[in-house]
Amino acid sequence: MTLYHYLAVSAALFCIGIFGALTRRNVIGILMGIELMFNAANINLAAFNRFLHPNAVVGQSVSLFIITVAAAEVVVGLALVLAIYRNIQTIYAEDYNLLKG
Amino acid sequence: MLEHVYLIPLLPLAAAVTLVFLGKEGPHSKMPFLSVATMGWCLLQSSAILWSAMTGAAHLPYAASMPWFEFGEYPMSLGVLIDGPAAMMLFVVTLVSFLMQVYSIAYMHGDPRFKRYFAYVSFFTASMLGLVVSSNLLVVFSCWELMGVSSYLLIGFWFEKPGPAYASKKAFITTKVGDLGFYLGMLIIFAYAGTFDLTMLRERVAMGAAYLPAHAATAAGLCLLFGAVGKSAQWPLFIWLPDAMEGPTPVSALIHAATMVAAGIYLVARTYFIYQASPLAMDAVAWIGLVTAFMAASMALVSYDIKRVLAFSTVSQLGYMMLALGVGGYSAGLFHLTTHAFFKALLFLGAGSVIHSVHSNDMREMGGLSKKMIVTFATMTIATLAIAGFPFSSGYYSKEAVLGAVYAHSPAMWAAALFTAAMTTFYMFRLIFMTFLGEARDHEKEHHAHESPALMTIPLCVLAVLSVCSGWILEHFGLVEHLFGLPSAVVHGAEHAAKAVEAAGAAAEHGAAAANHAAGHPASHPAFLVPAALSAFAAGLGISWKLYASGDFTTATKIKQTFGPVFTLLEKRYYFDDFFLFLVDLSDRLAAACFWVDANIVDRIFVDGWGLVTILLAEIENFIDAVFVDGLVDASGWVSRQAGAGLRTLVTGQVQEYLLYVALAVSVFIIQMLTMR
Repeated sequence: MTLYHYLAVSAALFCIGIFGALTRRNVIGILMGIELMFNAANINLAAFNRFLHPNAVVGQSVSLFIITVAAAEVVVGLALVLAIYRNIQTIYAEDYNLLKG
Repeated sequence: MLEHVYLIPLLPLAAAVTLVFLGKEGPHSKMPFLSVATMGWCLLQSSAILWSAMTGAAHLPYAASMPWFEFGEYPMSLGVLIDGPAAMMLFVVTLVSFLMQVYSIAYMHGDPRFKRYFAYVSFFTASMLGLVVSSNLLVVFSCWELMGVSSYLLIGFWFEKPGPAYASKKAFITTKVGDLGFYLGMLIIFAYAGTFDLTMLRERVAMGAAYLPAHAATAAGLCLLFGAVGKSAQWPLFIWLPDAMEGPTPVSALIHAATMVAAGIYLVARTYFIYQASPLAMDAVAWIGLVTAFMAASMALVSYDIKRVLAFSTVSQLGYMMLALGVGGYSAGLFHLTTHAFFKALLFLGAGSVIHSVHSNDMREMGGLSKKMIVTFATMTIATLAIAGFPFSSGYYSKEAVLGAVYAHSPAMWAAALFTAAMTTFYMFRLIFMTFLGEARDHEKEHHAHESPALMTIPLCVLAVLSVCSGWILEHFGLVEHLFGLPSAVVHGAEHAAKAVEAAGAAAEHGAAAANHAAGHPASHPAFLVPAALSAFAAGLGISWKLYASGDFTTATKIKQTFGPVFTLLEKRYYFDDFFLFLVDLSDRLAAACFWVDANIVDRIFVDGWGLVTILLAEIENFIDAVFVDGLVDASGWVSRQAGAGLRTLVTGQVQEYLLYVALAVSVFIIQMLTMR
């Protein structure tokens, strides 16, 4: 188990996450994809901490912060989704086109 | 009294302003009495001044002034300068004005503009008095112009009639032409001498070429003379005075006989030191005077309008005064000015009395009035004797003085002046004979004729007394010398004066104060002068008696037929009116031609052409603007519009697409970073 294995898993997870975020019609799904990308980053941080500076806990602490922030972010995100849904009765992202030029 | 002389012009001015703005207008307005009372006061003051001047109690010339304004480095003063002639003029003007106003109360009574008439008369008198007393040439000029205005107002007093309206315009414009000369003369004087103050000017001119070189003196003298020619109705600007008779007759007596027309003479006398510095200007004065005297007298021979005869006579007598001044007879000219004011005012007021009575100006419709109007007849006869130079009347003395001065200068001029005197006698007696003697030619008019009221006859009597005795008084008591003598300091400078002194040599043994003045003293001239003048008088009277006294004009008519062209020439006033009208017409045509050139050539080529060029240029510019400049502007708009249209396809509003772009961009950065390493 080298650093590269972790990095590979992390990259895969990130790709899955970005794929989900880019392709899902459902806003909840997009949020879930974003969560996956966060976690990919967390894996990276923990792995770098473990293999490059084993005595420090900096990477792990940052991971913990990210998890906390991600939870808060999801709350805000879901609140937005709910607010938008109340206005236009849809959760499909392609219908959210108020910014269309 | 003398220190308050400034009141004399200011009081009538105040009266005029009061009359204009206060009181009720109407045919029976009481306001005119204010004007008469004011003039009465001025007359008293003037008489006191003249008396103190005559007795020598007052030391003349008296000058007082106060600063007026600064003209750059030149201070201007507002002041009075009273010398002998000024004292005499003050008396003459106030006296004639006073008598004329008293007379006018009766003459103008019932006129709807009764009050306004007196306001104008007061205003005129104030202007004239201002001119007489002022020591500053600028103020003199202002008063001169104000007199022009008031003369205009008074000639055109009955402005609703076309005659007076036309005459007032003619008088104003003609005198205005002369005023131009006065103004130019003033400018020349100021440019050289740098002052308008007469006393200072006299000193500076006496210093000679340092201040006023000979050519400048000549130019200034001629210009001032031109002004005087306009105001005093001298040749060739005499055309306005006969027409000015359209005004009320008392006005003619005051303005166009005794005072305003005398202003020109007075101006020449006031600036005499300039003429003494220039023999040429002096000669011009003399010649203009002689020509005027002769021409005007000849025109008076054939006129039938009683006032016109008097007007021509005035012009002629003014010419006499000019002639006297021009030949060096300073005191003779002023002497004649004084006496003439009395008898000519009397003649005009008498004529007014006649007109008031018969309601006609035409002497052919009169005749036989002596029975009806005995006072008018008597006083007018006295005045006629005076103007004709009947022995021991005032005109006799002054005319002798003038003729003597002229003879000392040139016997030929004297002969012409003598002939003029004969003509004067002739036409004046013709007037008297046609008006008062013979049988009444228009019985209806004669029937209504009556003697004028006392308000009119009393002034006539006062003037008659003065016409008789003023000459004797002035002559006998040496007042001509005393009042009208030239200041000796100036005399030596000029050629004419030198001539006068020379002539005075003969008179020296008479012991008179003739050292600086010879002309005008009969005793200093050849003995035949007086008999010659008397025979001229007799000849004029005799011919007049023969032709007109009987009331039978057949001989006169016969003569008129024989010399038809001459009469026509005289009746047409030597065609001077036509000449001036021709000049006006000519300038009119010239102006029309210039206008045509302006409208059809200058406007067409330069104005319209330039407009055309501008339009063309504008069209070209418009084309460039529309095609190239606007094209560039439009192109930039088009480009940004197209760019926007292209770019807007990227902005779909789909969040996921934006995310994709971000991801792509980050990928690109990452790839670049990795490859750069």
